[in-house]
Amino acid sequence: MSREPTRRNFLKAAGGAAVATTATAGCLDSGGGGNGGGSLVYSRGDHPENYDPQQTTSGEVAKVTNQIYDQLIQFEPGSGGQLTEGLATEYSLEGTTATLTLREGVQFHNGEELTAEDARATIRRFIDEEYDYYLGENRSGYGAFTFGNWVDSVDANSDYELSIELVQQYAPFLRNLAMFAAAILSKAQIENLGADPESQVELGTDPKGTGAFTFEELDNGNERVRLSAYDDYWGDGPNVDEVVFTTVGQNSSRVQEVINGDAHITDNLDSQSSQQVQNSGSASLLSKNGINVGYMAFNMERVEAFRNRQVRRAVSLAVNTEAIVNDIYQGFAEQATQPLPPDVMGHNDSLEPYPQDKQQAQTLLEEAGATGLSFELATFSNPRGYNPSPVDTANQVRSDLEDVGMSVEINQFSDFGSYLDYTDAGRHDACFLGWYTDNADPDNFMYVLLDPKVDLEQVPEGQDWVSFDTEGYSPLNVAAWANNEYMQTVREAQASYDEATRRSLYEEASQLAYDEAPWVFIDYAQTLRAVNEAVAEDSYTVSSVGGPYLEMVSLN
Amino acid sequence: MVSKRFILKRLLLLVPVLFGVASLVFAILHLAPGDPARLIVGQRAPPSQVEAVRESLGLNDPLYVQYGRFLVDAAQFEFGDSYQVSRGNPVSQVIKTRLPVTVELALYGQVIGIALGIPLGIVSAVKQDSLTDHVTRVGALTGISVPIYWSGPLLILLFSAYLGIFPAAGRIGSTIFLDDHWVLFGRELPLTGMVTVDTLLLGRPDAWFSAVQHLFLPAMTIGVYSMALISRMMRSSMLEVVRQDYMRTARAKGQGAKITVLKHGFRNAFIPVITVIGIQFGTLLGGAVLTETVFGIGGVGTTLVEAISDSDYPVVQGIVLTFALLFTLVNLGVDITYSYLDPRIQQ
Repeated sequence: MSREPTRRNFLKAAGGAAVATTATAGCLDSGGGGNGGGSLVYSRGDHPENYDPQQTTSGEVAKVTNQIYDQLIQFEPGSGGQLTEGLATEYSLEGTTATLTLREGVQFHNGEELTAEDARATIRRFIDEEYDYYLGENRSGYGAFTFGNWVDSVDANSDYELSIELVQQYAPFLRNLAMFAAAILSKAQIENLGADPESQVELGTDPKGTGAFTFEELDNGNERVRLSAYDDYWGDGPNVDEVVFTTVGQNSSRVQEVINGDAHITDNLDSQSSQQVQNSGSASLLSKNGINVGYMAFNMERVEAFRNRQVRRAVSLAVNTEAIVNDIYQGFAEQATQPLPPDVMGHNDSLEPYPQDKQQAQTLLEEAGATGLSFELATFSNPRGYNPSPVDTANQVRSDLEDVGMSVEINQFSDFGSYLDYTDAGRHDACFLGWYTDNADPDNFMYVLLDPKVDLEQVPEGQDWVSFDTEGYSPLNVAAWANNEYMQTVREAQASYDEATRRSLYEEASQLAYDEAPWVFIDYAQTLRAVNEAVAEDSYTVSSVGGPYLEMVSLN
Repeated sequence: MVSKRFILKRLLLLVPVLFGVASLVFAILHLAPGDPARLIVGQRAPPSQVEAVRESLGLNDPLYVQYGRFLVDAAQFEFGDSYQVSRGNPVSQVIKTRLPVTVELALYGQVIGIALGIPLGIVSAVKQDSLTDHVTRVGALTGISVPIYWSGPLLILLFSAYLGIFPAAGRIGSTIFLDDHWVLFGRELPLTGMVTVDTLLLGRPDAWFSAVQHLFLPAMTIGVYSMALISRMMRSSMLEVVRQDYMRTARAKGQGAKITVLKHGFRNAFIPVITVIGIQFGTLLGGAVLTETVFGIGGVGTTLVEAISDSDYPVVQGIVLTFALLFTLVNLGVDITYSYLDPRIQQ
């Protein structure tokens, strides 16, 4: 029996269709692993449009390129920085020579087989001005940082033997090879693009790596990236058919997507959105100790009083870092004691955070003749992982220091680029900054952030600071601190290949940094992820360096 | 009939307007603090590399040279390549991809605003001082007063978190991907970039439902604001008209109340409302910036916000000038409609 197409019937049918559609809102495909493992949706806060690991400093790009590309050596998932085999099955560093044996039978997504020439071309594209396919001014700051400052030459001894000659003994080098920016590109793709930096830029719109997922679609209109499982992947996995990276800028909306099941995993959570996840029944909050540090640096070149260790220690004693971590950062960070975070070799476990003791701070200031000191505290305005509330933190510092008779003028920057220019030029009296590790090596904190990188002879006798315009000075050391003993210790550790020796040297250097207090050590922020219940338990591991390891993820 | 002279005159007026906007946006960008070079190469790059990038982008040239270069390019609607947001791609490409997203959102918002605002305004005026009138007025006042960054999350909380009816963010289901062209009589044609239209062109009803679901909350968010303004304007305009002699005459001649209001009242009362709708479209484009951010929609508004925070000068300049052009063109359209409804305007 047929029904007459009346207005009422039509409305009923339309209503039914709408209900059916709304009932499916929030449901994603899920599968049982292996082929047919479903679509994994990873929601992130930004959608860059270029996925070349050598052209970016963005973590949002790195989490995609880490699925498409592999490094010669990789970080063990969830280990906090332990190294494991990547495209190289054997690797060693002796003297100034790194030797690597490459895995055989690995194919790039463009069908080319991986050889040592690919690795050579990759490194040359990043740092070698003589190479026709040099990336030029389009390369990111990681070019010099990862390879350029350390590599003298790269040679492919055979199809699978690579040797890299360094300019000096440099212990962290193998870890540099595991950084996201050290991803191995296809020589054929590089050279097919054309021998000029402008042509090389295009690599980022169609990246071809050897990773577990191939780059399928860059959907800029909907701010998505679609990757497909690579059938010929050399490693274990992937367990899902595809990964879709979606983009939602607002933290609360992004987290709501995971709670609703519209996305499976998200990151860059603030304290409010973390609580949103904790209060939900369908998603869980995973956390791991982050390998990062947030600090307030004293500029010793600019403020004479800061050259006195007693003043720096007095400020460290006056600032209530416990309140900053517990109240302002809402417990999603821990108080810092030293430049190195806990999971990094050389972290000195015997050190305790500076206790808040305004009485002692006052006494130290009186002894140093620095009562009534006034200075400027520069800060960025937008939240960063190691300092999620910079302005509130600055206000806390100001209030604490007013209690010991100091006067602090907060100088707030809305633009982070301008802020870095300001601190690079050493124009701040004191400033907030922080650091996320690149390779989980202690050198990545101790040498990079607190060694001025000038010759020891350039530091005048009896002085533990240098001017920002000293030849070779690295403005990453925003304190202008140049402590001879510290510099010698971290340089010795940098060149030493014996792990026990390095550990002991860094513990010593950490103690020195604690005692000399070139920074107020503020916090180590946790790494937080929201994960929907559709993700199989334990298949997703939070990593504080490298990753995310999406090839291991399966869906229920 | 609208004269060609009138349209030409208005089109010529676009030139000084766009010149003014271009100069203003250039001045603001270059006077405000911001260093694109440092953001491109990152915190780890040495100052020498930052300087080299600055040089290669021409940022070390005197400001008047940069300004001259910008004006020459802007006159051809060329803004160069994006520094950061869409690294290395031409700004025109960025706008081409992102603008339809925003226009789609603004259009649906406008449709909701008009569809709800006009009837509510008319009813409110015809039933002046009744309960319906009071409720509508309070509703309109609330609609205007509530900011988008508050109403957006509130709608997400209600319809997504509690009721689970609509998705919290995005434009279409995460795993639904569309072809990049559609086929008509064997010819491949480009898509519009408006997902509710493209899904229909591609004959994908499942994707269309998903797109409508995703668009509902953001379009409501900006539509409610628009509705509030339109209904208020419609009400006051209609109140003036219903007191006119010709309305009384029509009723005296025995014409029904509904027909009198709709046939004689509406056309006259609608003229000032059109102006509001035109201006509103510009406001909706602005409102789309906030709405897109809240709902994770990658339109030109979100891109503008990203470009400002990344000091991506070419993208900011390109988008602001496009907004200005759109806004002035919509206003021109409003004026043409206006003069069609009331030919005295052309004088």
